[in-house]
Amino acid sequence: MIAISGLAKKFRVENPKKLSEQDKKDPRLEGRFFHSVKEVSLRCEKGEVLGLLGPNGAGKTTTLRLLSTALQPDAGTMYIGDTDVIKDPVGARKKIGFLSGSTGLYGRLTGRENIAYFGRLNGMNDKDINQRIESLGEKLDMLSFLDRRSETYSTGMKQKTSIARAVIHSPEVVVLDEPTTGLDIMAAKTVIDFIKDLKSQQVPVIFSTHHLEEVTELCDKVTVIDYGETTFDDTLEGFKALSPDGLHASFMASLKQGVA
Amino acid sequence: MWLVFKKELLELLRDRKTLFFMVALPIVVFPLLFGGVTYFMSQAVSEAQTKTLNYAIIGQDYGLELVDKLAGVESLSLQSLETQPIDDEQKKTLVRDGEVDFIVEIPSNFGSDIINTGQITIKVFLNDAQFNSVQSRLSDVIDELEATYQRVAFASLGLNEDQQTGLLNPMVIEKVNVADERESIGAQVGGLIPYFLFLLCLQGAMLPAADIGAGEKERGTLETLLLSPISRQNIVLGKFLTIAFAGVISALVTVLSMAIWGIVLSQGMAIKVVSDFMASIGLLDFLLVFLMLVPIVAMFAAILLALSIYARSYKEAQGYMTPLVFLVIVPVLVAVIPGIELKGVWAWVPLTNVALAIKELIKGTMDYVQLFAIFGSSVIIAGALIAFCVHWFNKEKVLFR
Repeated sequence: MIAISGLAKKFRVENPKKLSEQDKKDPRLEGRFFHSVKEVSLRCEKGEVLGLLGPNGAGKTTTLRLLSTALQPDAGTMYIGDTDVIKDPVGARKKIGFLSGSTGLYGRLTGRENIAYFGRLNGMNDKDINQRIESLGEKLDMLSFLDRRSETYSTGMKQKTSIARAVIHSPEVVVLDEPTTGLDIMAAKTVIDFIKDLKSQQVPVIFSTHHLEEVTELCDKVTVIDYGETTFDDTLEGFKALSPDGLHASFMASLKQGVA
Repeated sequence: MWLVFKKELLELLRDRKTLFFMVALPIVVFPLLFGGVTYFMSQAVSEAQTKTLNYAIIGQDYGLELVDKLAGVESLSLQSLETQPIDDEQKKTLVRDGEVDFIVEIPSNFGSDIINTGQITIKVFLNDAQFNSVQSRLSDVIDELEATYQRVAFASLGLNEDQQTGLLNPMVIEKVNVADERESIGAQVGGLIPYFLFLLCLQGAMLPAADIGAGEKERGTLETLLLSPISRQNIVLGKFLTIAFAGVISALVTVLSMAIWGIVLSQGMAIKVVSDFMASIGLLDFLLVFLMLVPIVAMFAAILLALSIYARSYKEAQGYMTPLVFLVIVPVLVAVIPGIELKGVWAWVPLTNVALAIKELIKGTMDYVQLFAIFGSSVIIAGALIAFCVHWFNKEKVLFR
């Protein structure tokens, strides 16, 4: 279970003169601070998949970074199961499998070494790591390239390795930041199948995306963030019901809701 | 912590570029370069000294004895000039145009009776910008004549041998050096050794440092690492150890290769001096020199890591690190200034104190009590720098720039 409520995060603007015209119009800019996330709440129960939607720069990545303890929030609460993420970040990290949009691999290590390193950082022993890599490798169809240096990988191979790395320690919850962006259809399908598989294991998944068809295929719940605020947070059915003209219209409707 | 260290090291070893700079460069490339330059230098020198030079003599009739002697030198060949030059300008032109390599002008007062001739000035026209040791070849001949004439002159004056030496060189200064050989050699090289060691350590630590901090940020692996359930201290310490280790190893590799190649390349006398000198230093002092490097490398590694983690990219990190070299040179140069010794305040100045201590150790005049001050100040500074690194690793502003 993941529960976030009233989450807020502001960044200090180092040089206000450097901001572009568009940035200055953003209502989140107040004085010397940019309130990237102002009021985000969402909830994802066991076995649910939550799709996080929103325009670029809306605060999706910041929200996920806050949840993954990379950043510290200014206000709000976050719980993973019964762990308070803010009070016990190290404990929370053990429970989260996080894949950020800009993540990379250690190019000079093989895929297997990359995954194993994070397994060890999570306190796993070598035997467990090997077993886990074998089963993940099969599931994600990556056994053929696991022992090559990861700098030679294609984008899809890298993404698969990154996902395997994120879930090596069998986390309680999985958070994926735009996991399918930039992938070819085959690789994207592997990722989607993997999310389905996690769902069948009752692991809650939060992922952000710009592909609405993925939302229909996978999600039980939808949360829309716009200008740092949750503008929609309900079931997929509720999201579809926003507009009779399909998902894109629903999405637009959800944004307007917030502005109004 | 060891986990991070082990992985960073593995990655470092897989990196051909870094390995090349750390190992291949000092072991193979530098010695080859130095060796090559030395070889060509000695070739050029010996060629210049044995090459046959053409010369002409003006005023042959005044000094037949000198003419004979010069003719006896194998590598010199006398040329007769088609037209006798009238003034100095013409002589200069002859040499400049390469008609002859040099012209010897024997004055009219030339003679063996030097008591009556007065000082004899032999003019030589030559292009001294060229490297062909005209003067040394001429001196060989002229010195010999000079000595003979002197002896004859002294004999005619009825002076015995002691009086002759006394007259030729009435006063001499004799140095009695109370410093033993180790101290005097140590004073000469002792200032240079820390200079080399420091720069090598810094250089060796730089590339891995840039890779481990900024490089990891650039590739997007840092965020993932920060999200794993390992405390920031351990990440910092693991990375710090890797950088320090790389620095020490590359310095050691370089020093060892210099020592080995030095022994291989130098021959005869030089070896004996070097090995005697090395033997006189003693194991304890060697160990202390090495131990001194530990806090220094720790300081370097902490600074480099802090810079590297602040930088947005590998390139930016290298930009920040380059000025460090100059910052390091200054305190080391201070240690070379005569009169600055390992006493009082200087024992507490970082880098300078270690440079001074290494010099003292090599000279064999170390005041071991000062070690406390040195280690004390170095450890405090290194510790503070590491603490600062940990602090920076907790700063969002630094990590997500």
